[in-house]
Amino acid sequence: MVSIEIDGKQIKANDGAMVIEAADDAGISIPRFCYHKKLSVAANCRMCLVHVEKARKPLPACATPVTEGMKIFTRTPLALQAQKGVMEFLLINHPLDCPICDQGGECELQDVAMGYGSGLSRYCEGKRVVEDKNLGPLIATEMTRCIHCTRCVRFGEEIAGIKELGATGRGEHMKIGTYVEKTVDSELSGNVIDLCPVGALTSKPFRYRARAWEMRQADSIAPHDCVGSNIHIHTKGREVLRVVPRDNEAVNETWISDRDRFSYEGIHSADRVEKPRIKESGRWTEVSWEHALAFVGDKLKALPADKLGFVAGPSCTSEEYYLFQKLARALGTDNIDYRLRQLDISDQAQVAISQTLGQTIEEFEQNNAFLLVGSNLRKDQPILGHRLRKAGLRGASVSLINSMDHEFRFPVANKLLGGAGDLIRNLAGVTKELLAQNASYKRSKDLSDVLSGIEANDTHRSIAKALSSANKATVILGNQANYHPQSSTIRALAAAICELSGAKLSIVTDGGNSVGAQLMGVLPHRGPGGKKLSKTGLSFNEMLTTSIKGLVVMGAELDADTLTGSSALETAKHAEIVVSITPFSSAAIEKYAHVMLPVGTFAETSGTYINTEGRWQSFEGAVQPYAESRPAWKVLRVLGNVMKLDGFDYFSTEEVMDEIKEHVGHVELNNLFEWEAPAVTGLNGSNGLEMIGDVPIYSVDAIVRRAAALQGTTDAVSSCVYLNSNAASKQGLMDSDTVSVVHQSGSISMTVKLDNRVPDGCIFLPSGASTTDSLGAPFGSVKLDKLAGSINDQGAIGAANV
Amino acid sequence: MSESKLDLLTAASKAEIDQWVAKYPADKKQSATMPALRIVQDQNEGYLTQDLMDAIAEYLGIPAISVYEVATFYSMYEHKPVGKHKICVCTNVSCMLRGSDEIVAHLKKKINVNGWREVSADGRFSLKEVECLGACAGAPMMQIGREYHENLTPEKIDKILESLD
Amino acid sequence: MESVTRYVKSLFLWELLKGLGVTGRYLFARKITVQYPEEKTPLSNRFRGLHALRRYPNGEERCIACKLCEAVCPALAITIESEPRADGTRRTTRYDIDLFKCIYCGFCEESCPVDSIVETKEFEYTFEKRGENIMTKEMLLAMGDKYEEQLAADRLEDAPYR
Repeated sequence: MVSIEIDGKQIKANDGAMVIEAADDAGISIPRFCYHKKLSVAANCRMCLVHVEKARKPLPACATPVTEGMKIFTRTPLALQAQKGVMEFLLINHPLDCPICDQGGECELQDVAMGYGSGLSRYCEGKRVVEDKNLGPLIATEMTRCIHCTRCVRFGEEIAGIKELGATGRGEHMKIGTYVEKTVDSELSGNVIDLCPVGALTSKPFRYRARAWEMRQADSIAPHDCVGSNIHIHTKGREVLRVVPRDNEAVNETWISDRDRFSYEGIHSADRVEKPRIKESGRWTEVSWEHALAFVGDKLKALPADKLGFVAGPSCTSEEYYLFQKLARALGTDNIDYRLRQLDISDQAQVAISQTLGQTIEEFEQNNAFLLVGSNLRKDQPILGHRLRKAGLRGASVSLINSMDHEFRFPVANKLLGGAGDLIRNLAGVTKELLAQNASYKRSKDLSDVLSGIEANDTHRSIAKALSSANKATVILGNQANYHPQSSTIRALAAAICELSGAKLSIVTDGGNSVGAQLMGVLPHRGPGGKKLSKTGLSFNEMLTTSIKGLVVMGAELDADTLTGSSALETAKHAEIVVSITPFSSAAIEKYAHVMLPVGTFAETSGTYINTEGRWQSFEGAVQPYAESRPAWKVLRVLGNVMKLDGFDYFSTEEVMDEIKEHVGHVELNNLFEWEAPAVTGLNGSNGLEMIGDVPIYSVDAIVRRAAALQGTTDAVSSCVYLNSNAASKQGLMDSDTVSVVHQSGSISMTVKLDNRVPDGCIFLPSGASTTDSLGAPFGSVKLDKLAGSINDQGAIGAANV
Repeated sequence: MSESKLDLLTAASKAEIDQWVAKYPADKKQSATMPALRIVQDQNEGYLTQDLMDAIAEYLGIPAISVYEVATFYSMYEHKPVGKHKICVCTNVSCMLRGSDEIVAHLKKKINVNGWREVSADGRFSLKEVECLGACAGAPMMQIGREYHENLTPEKIDKILESLD
Repeated sequence: MESVTRYVKSLFLWELLKGLGVTGRYLFARKITVQYPEEKTPLSNRFRGLHALRRYPNGEERCIACKLCEAVCPALAITIESEPRADGTRRTTRYDIDLFKCIYCGFCEESCPVDSIVETKEFEYTFEKRGENIMTKEMLLAMGDKYEEQLAADRLEDAPYR
């Protein structure tokens, strides 16, 4: 620590801190454009010039480290004159188009010009004009307004990990742009909108919609991944106009993913249901809430309890989950599940009560070795992907066992790719290697039996070494590992690896509140807080194979939010009543449901999300629910009342939360469990092609699927068959051929796309789109038959149209 | 990833770039951007194309935009075709005072171009305005290839241009 | 002494005569009242009457939806909604002025960077039904079209003082 003085105020500052940091901590404002606390120092805007005692010239506060006894003045004539001069220069080429600029009213340049500039400019020559760039559907550009702070350039390099923007030319001719117009395809790209101090980069979907001063700001939590990024929702009237990040150093720092930022467009989709609807003899009619709820109550009560099924998506609030399971159990059934995309849950009785990151997000970043299993962390949980990247750049050893060669924008130590079987074989190889080094391990007998047929190779050895030699290591099971048809084996092997190497086990789950769903007991075998039940109900997968007569679906679309869409739809078809508690309608819902109860989205309800580090984050509704829709917790509450069930008299989500707190303690951040020795079999797969499926970043839930701008990005994977050029030539296929994909229960015709990230012998088929729902679970062997004909068959519909 | 553009670089260019890369630490290949641009520019009759810059980026394993940044910043990298001989005339203060305007007018007439950065009809010459080249003692001056020509007069220019092929 | 003067003045009805003198003077002086509505007083070029939205000579509406008038309005009488138009320009989709709320202060006119929202000399208007007090964008533009010549002349006259 050094002591310095700023404007006569004595301040203690960290060694090596820059003057501007010390001033910010002390609450002394220094104007700045290029400096940003999360980016490297560029010192190119010169706005932060301050007067330092004994310095002959004013010094930039962002690039001047503090020294003992330093005396800094921010308001002396020298400093003020310097700031005024810089301001005049900055405004020379800045257009005076504030009235049509979206940044107007929240513009750093406006604010600083008011505070530090002079009233008029001596410049009367022409201003320069810069050609606009097309940065894709999310970011609107007006490059003439750019003041060359290079925050966006540094963001690309340092945070997004891809240098897409750059400064070309020099002096008067300097331009920020991609030089070649190409879409900025980073999952965090929207953050440049917040970084840009002027109106050069603004939000395209929000363009010209409202001024900063006429919107109301509500604190909320992003619902699309298990990170639970803190957000502000900006609203005007009953409309959500935009989402911006809310700083929380422990969770999302100052960033949010594009998915969290632009998904709000889905809230106002044309698919919103205005009033409760009932299907009578094939025709939908709008009815009153009383009628709809009474109808649902009568129907459900008339059915035997063991023929009822309750299914929820992974992104509802904890209060909704709690009431949902309370309703199910009050009706006498434990047939309730939220695991719509998990195929193998045979270890459900053993696994931890809540599957979490196993550590806080900040601790996660501090690990020295990572083993990522079946995860596209960058796209699935972008904020965790960013934390992992920070660790990777710091020098942590990151190893991957994945099915697709996903791009990670930092050096990866080891990489093992392959289909579903290879994934387990590789994990087993690492386990075997660790076991060989650690003979005294208490369960070595169990393991060595099942691993007898496995050979460890050099890569396995290298991964094992990295994990056991690091003082902090973690094994991460990603979305794809959870979706895997043998995910219990993966979990057991991963747990064994962790026990053997001392690493932590992280399980990142899909959806915004899967930890909440587990804790609230939206599971057939556990009640709230993990309470053991006397008997186990049917899991979602089991419901699909038994005849369920009454199905209640909350916050999920059975066709797109499940991995086994076709059998889910089949089950729904045979049910007597399917109740869909949903904000949106869709062609599929209209087909399978009998009642639609319209509910609000995350912006229209209060509630609590529990993120992957067990952080309980409550929020209030930002706007009134659309039309006559109601918050889902209220719907469930009234449904309980209508059915005359006990204990459904709540006035607010706080009351529900109070009751939840009686059952659920704080979250234990430990995923290790009493695993049973797994059967490491069925590894050789098929001789032909193997299918690997995953849910692309912009297909994860109903809101995101309806966010128009996100669906226009390059990350919105279209529904095609992806395979690498080797596999394609072996099959005699070319890019954009049409093939018939034959798999398990069905076949569809789709377009072929070459993608060399797909490993040999595999095809990748994105799930989460209704076009692929007839194919069954996206694993196992698959056959491609080349079809003659044009590519514009009905199968080749992009995900954007779904 | 789009198609590889590495084939655009000749083996000789690659070998020369390798010499430069070897001078820097293995993880600092970006340092060789400037020599690489010069080498490739020479290879391609004195100017760079976007494809060539992409190829350099690919060869050095750096983002393409980093190469564009450097190539557009420095004035010695050309982005449009130039003549076989690039005539760089200094018009900075010393040369201007010593009559560079006259030199420029004569050059324009001689190679029959109207303005800066134009290439003569036969493709032999192109004219470029440059800032001070540090030869004020011999002003007015110009640079052709790697040669400085000082104390210019119209007659001297005629002789110089005739001596070039 | 003073009381004597006052007594004499009151005796000769001095005050009354003085008053009649004023009456007599104005009886023969030039009239300053007008026979409204047959006759009208001249209006200043800065008169603040009913609002209008102006257009450029090429027919393009001036308003760019900057919303400064909405922000400055002390009576919150203006409601604006905006969106990019098909050609990408920033335009209003709704521009309502509630004439019940409006206090005719002229701040909207003052704040407008493109001289779009202006106040005309029109002050004779009535409403018969609820809802007629809302001037919509179409009505405002129609006002602008109707009075454009006058508006342009008024603003030209005022230009040296702005």
